[in-house]
Amino acid sequence: MMKKIGLTTTVPIEVLIAAGYTPVDLNNIFITSDDYMKYIDIAERDGFPRSLCTWIKGIYGACLQNGIKEIVGVVEGDCSNTKALIEVLELRGIKVFPFSFPHSHKLDNVEHEIKNFMNVFNVTIKEVELVRQRLNESRALAKEIDELTYIDNKATGFENHLYQVSSSDFNGNVDDFDVDLKKVICEIKSRKPVVRKLRLGYIGVPPMTSDIYEFVENLNANFVYNEVQREFAFPRANNALDIYHQYYDYTYPYDTDFRILELRKQIGNRKLDGIIHYTQAFCYRAVSDIVLKEKLNIPILNIEGDKSNVLDARTKLRLEAFLDMLLDLKTYSAEDKK
Amino acid sequence: MRVLGIDLGSREVKIVLMEDNKIIQKKKVSTMSFYRNYCNFDGKIIVDLKKLDISHIDKAVSTGYGKNNTDLLLFTPINEIKAHVYGGFYQTGLNDFILLDIGGQDVKIVKVEKGITTDLELNEKCAASCGRYLENMANVLEVSLGEMSKHYENAVELNSTCAVFSESELIGKIAQGVSIESLCSSVNYSLYKRLLPLLSKFRGKKLILTGGVASNIAIKRYLSNNYDEIVSIKEPQFNGAIGCCYYGSKFL
Repeated sequence: MMKKIGLTTTVPIEVLIAAGYTPVDLNNIFITSDDYMKYIDIAERDGFPRSLCTWIKGIYGACLQNGIKEIVGVVEGDCSNTKALIEVLELRGIKVFPFSFPHSHKLDNVEHEIKNFMNVFNVTIKEVELVRQRLNESRALAKEIDELTYIDNKATGFENHLYQVSSSDFNGNVDDFDVDLKKVICEIKSRKPVVRKLRLGYIGVPPMTSDIYEFVENLNANFVYNEVQREFAFPRANNALDIYHQYYDYTYPYDTDFRILELRKQIGNRKLDGIIHYTQAFCYRAVSDIVLKEKLNIPILNIEGDKSNVLDARTKLRLEAFLDMLLDLKTYSAEDKK
Repeated sequence: MRVLGIDLGSREVKIVLMEDNKIIQKKKVSTMSFYRNYCNFDGKIIVDLKKLDISHIDKAVSTGYGKNNTDLLLFTPINEIKAHVYGGFYQTGLNDFILLDIGGQDVKIVKVEKGITTDLELNEKCAASCGRYLENMANVLEVSLGEMSKHYENAVELNSTCAVFSESELIGKIAQGVSIESLCSSVNYSLYKRLLPLLSKFRGKKLILTGGVASNIAIKRYLSNNYDEIVSIKEPQFNGAIGCCYYGSKFL
């Protein structure tokens, strides 16, 4: 049995796998569990404030309840809540390996961090690159699902979300993951394309409320882009020279301006009509919404999720009104062109 | 042609009947009583038009809190933003405006340019900037809503984020000897302050104010700091229902 190691967000798992670990994304365990609310309760009973990001509380509960003894904690490049979470987990006897995505976002510094990480786990760059090559085959499959979404209009927004977000830990077994993905890809390819009038982008952290994908479909819209999930799947890994470049060319943990470059590219490539920006209640990322709205020239609706794993009536109303507006805008601009 | 419009609000249901684009009947019923006394349920909600004293309808359009909740049998549901924007068209004849609707627990702000909605925002999570807040505070002060809404001078700061904590904050001010007039102003001003972040993203010349809070004199006065003109409409509370009728007669 390989030893499990918990993740609070995406880190260079190539290093962990090379070191003989099975990485487990605690976010995925938390949100896919029927007991997800129990995990939150555990955290609140232990003193985590009500006014705190639910993901942090869920990760905490999931870690304690699933017998995870070691985790990688991202102390730079993710939020300060994670930093505090790690301290509480250490208090509970969990061994924490820190990792940083350097704020400077300089290749040298990224390389330095990953080299440190490799030293801690006692693996060589050669071993890591071998794992990377293997994982890149799986990443190529996730990328294929993405293309089946925005080029072929066959994969749904939810499938696009699910298979990309799952590649943060390859569901704990990369070989099984490949088998599943190949089966799914085969099935999706055999479908007829479903074209809906609005092409939407989903940006921000993955949702607590994954029913959002189906909800918009009933309003003549499809998500054809999942920003962060796609970043978790490293679609550009195959072009990256080495592991240092791969984690350098990654938009999630660095500054918003860098993120915007990729967003602009995808808005164009995927011909998006509008963007839903999901932020978690009490998360600093809601502040980034100011920058995104000013710098991206596309209608953006910021929605917020808290504890519930289904959309509430208010958010549904906001989505309805926003999509209705986009439909009108699209209809009128089509008439203008005539 | 006779078109019926129903706006199911959190506090009251507003009903308007139009014939050939003229309002010929309107009424308000409390939301609870509407569901209890004027509706039946048979898979879908059926509105008892007879009891409402309404007949000979060609079209019926409903709006309110979420499409599912307004899905009445024989009615075409439209979203609230659309209903309010069309109500705005009907009541003002304008094509370019900012519309601010402050209801019982909802605040909506919409930008309309050349007759098309180009941006919108709704309050999220918290209803401390809505009508219900004013109602609660008037209760604490033991004055009527109408009386409270007249006062806009000498406001003191009420800072609580939470509308329930605001009540105890208000009591604290009473204990400090702040006058009732000034406290009324303070409540109105605190609601205005909660609206400000929304307003800053929706600049424009003309503001149409709708919803129950539109009759609040102080709020109107404060809002005139942010816009060249506050456009008064005849029926701010019926705007959504009017919009339903107008939309129905134009497009259905």
